[in-house]
Amino acid sequence: MKNCFLTLPFLLASGIAVAQVPAEMEGMEYETRADGTFLIGGPTFAFDRVMGAGGVHAESELWTPAKLRDRLLFNRWSGTPSWTPLEPGVWLKTGNELGDLIYQDFITEENRPENRTPILEGGFRSPTYKGLWATARLFQDDHFCSGAYAYRRDMVNGNYTHLGANWAMFSSAYGGLGYTNSLVNASVLAGEEYLWTYTATSRWIPSHYKPRIEARADIKNLSMTVAYEDIEFENLHEKEEGSRKEVNGSVYYKCGKACEKAIFQVAAGLAFRAVDDEGTVYTELEEDRVAWPFMELHVQPVGRLTADVTFGVNERDWLVQDSIQFVAPAPENMGVVVGVKNISGSRLNPLADTKEFYDGREIDLTADGQMNLIQAYASYVDTLGGFVSIGGRGSLWAEHGAETFDVEEIRYREKYDLTTRYGDVDRIEDWIKGVTAELWLNTWYRDMFKFTAMAGFEHIEGPVDNAEVTPAEFYTGFMGDWLLNKTFKISHSIRYRSDAKWNLRSKNPMVVKGDWTWDASFSQMFPKYGISLTGTLMHVLADEVMETVNGGYDRIRFICQAKKTF
Amino acid sequence: MGKLKKLLLLVASLALAALAQENSTKVEDIAFSKVYLGIEGGEIYPFGDLIDATYNTMYGGLNFRYSYWKNVDGVVMFHYAYFKPRPDVVPYDGVHQASGKLGLDWRFPAIHPIVLGGGFACNWTRADLDDDIVKDEIYDEPGGTLGDNETEFGWFARLNVVLWNFEKFRVGFNFMWEEIWTLPKRSDMLYAGIYVERKLW
Repeated sequence: MKNCFLTLPFLLASGIAVAQVPAEMEGMEYETRADGTFLIGGPTFAFDRVMGAGGVHAESELWTPAKLRDRLLFNRWSGTPSWTPLEPGVWLKTGNELGDLIYQDFITEENRPENRTPILEGGFRSPTYKGLWATARLFQDDHFCSGAYAYRRDMVNGNYTHLGANWAMFSSAYGGLGYTNSLVNASVLAGEEYLWTYTATSRWIPSHYKPRIEARADIKNLSMTVAYEDIEFENLHEKEEGSRKEVNGSVYYKCGKACEKAIFQVAAGLAFRAVDDEGTVYTELEEDRVAWPFMELHVQPVGRLTADVTFGVNERDWLVQDSIQFVAPAPENMGVVVGVKNISGSRLNPLADTKEFYDGREIDLTADGQMNLIQAYASYVDTLGGFVSIGGRGSLWAEHGAETFDVEEIRYREKYDLTTRYGDVDRIEDWIKGVTAELWLNTWYRDMFKFTAMAGFEHIEGPVDNAEVTPAEFYTGFMGDWLLNKTFKISHSIRYRSDAKWNLRSKNPMVVKGDWTWDASFSQMFPKYGISLTGTLMHVLADEVMETVNGGYDRIRFICQAKKTF
Repeated sequence: MGKLKKLLLLVASLALAALAQENSTKVEDIAFSKVYLGIEGGEIYPFGDLIDATYNTMYGGLNFRYSYWKNVDGVVMFHYAYFKPRPDVVPYDGVHQASGKLGLDWRFPAIHPIVLGGGFACNWTRADLDDDIVKDEIYDEPGGTLGDNETEFGWFARLNVVLWNFEKFRVGFNFMWEEIWTLPKRSDMLYAGIYVERKLW
């Protein structure tokens, strides 16, 4: 039975398979996932909701301690652009959305396709010398830059990127030093960054970080992060400019090794932001500061039962996320888990700005009252013959007071084909209920072959059309990974998602049609030399569609990367 | 859905290929145990619609080949070519193209001089503009998008026929089919060249 406890978390985790196809940038892993609704507006904005998560919000809207080192872009936690130093090595990445004209340009006079745009990255991190190391990185993602392209181009001076002339959604460069030994892992990075942030009004706001400085230190069980950001804003449409100087960061103490064996495990921390705005700035943080103390508790009174609570509170907001999970007795090679999850709070993201300003109007980004999400779930996994496992997960959830947007007016600008909205963040003062069912099958042969088939279904009752997004009802995915001669890796992900719908960002709801998508990745690896060469095709088979109002087109793209680790 | 069926067949065949592979424990030691450097030159012939777009042209460059598995080599190629447009309306003389290719070569154990290979291609292009031409002003003319750097990817397959082996040197023909993923149609070209290669170690 003890053995069962050890293998169960692995088997249950293996059911929630994330494709091994590498994302085009770290932080964009949602683009290769099958198990939910993932609508990409650009590398700095996506609606990302895993079907089994329950509720109508996207994962990036919700604050959790795991996102302390993510970037806060408007009211969302984003993995891009990541300032987490990469492992020691040197790397180069380039790619392109497929479909430039090249020599077809000589003979194509009508219906010329739009320009396709690249991805670029180069960087290194040195080996350590007496614990010291240096790193530098330039990375930008020009994919999806067709989103509100003409409007964005006319909004700013120059190309607004480090390289090229595509008004990339982000272009980042940093360099710095670090120190690593058995107790300490610390780094200081400084750089310059161009970012486009998608807001509640569906605009893209340009921000030029000049400079951005971030210091991190992990000392035993204590993690600290402080960033200083000098951000310039400009809007040539309205001849406006402004600046924000911001300090943000966190201190986090997590349970040490000794306490991990105890019945009670405690972690605690503080996240904070302070801003100083001048001129025209398009958002506001109430009182120019926010401090967010939080605590995590993990209780395991008996081996089969665990309870987790994360809560935070300050003078404006409170947020509680808790779960109770029970590992039921089951035959060998089988695991059954039942649990209850709850999220309640006055705001999903208590660190975000509180107001947005647009056209002289004020958009309140907070809502009175609170939201409550409760979910009960059961999952099981069964292993047959050491090379097949089947699993499933079912849940029931109900949410009251879900955060949404109360639309007062939708404005369409024909010149720029741009749709924006006015109103305030609001709540759906009603119950929305859902039932989900997911099934998966894994099979593998040594380390040479792995295959996963998965499917999920969700039925939602209640006023879900009042939420930002009506999620997809159905998905299926087939992932295969082959490792040939231990040195050549092929990874595939073929998946289907049914229709999803943006309800509140355009006059008529924007339906993102369901479609098949195929991603494939091929890697030559030289383990003896630490070298890998990878080519990845993304979004093959699928129609090239816009998945978010004013967002960029999700096109077929090819990305190649060469990497040498030290 | 036709595409999807083909894809599922491909996936199934790759699964069979994976199961058929020998589980060699020494495979890490084969990589880079032999390394070759070569020079190559030849002619490029556009195919399909591209026949009306550009003239045939010469190319030249470097090839780098290394042992990867027992009968499989890795290849990296860098070739340069200058393409002259056929339509007179194109407002410049030609286009510089640098092509990088990365792939695998499979040596037939039975028919030794013949090597089959394939992989990914990445072509960088830029028009050879006169100093008095402003790239933004010609953007909407035929060929105008090449006023700025343009890069596009694709795949290639090649047939490599070895003619002579002499101590550390090898001479052979390289026939290569290249398809670049352009729009409104894919761009196909055939490369026919001769190479001289020296074994470095």
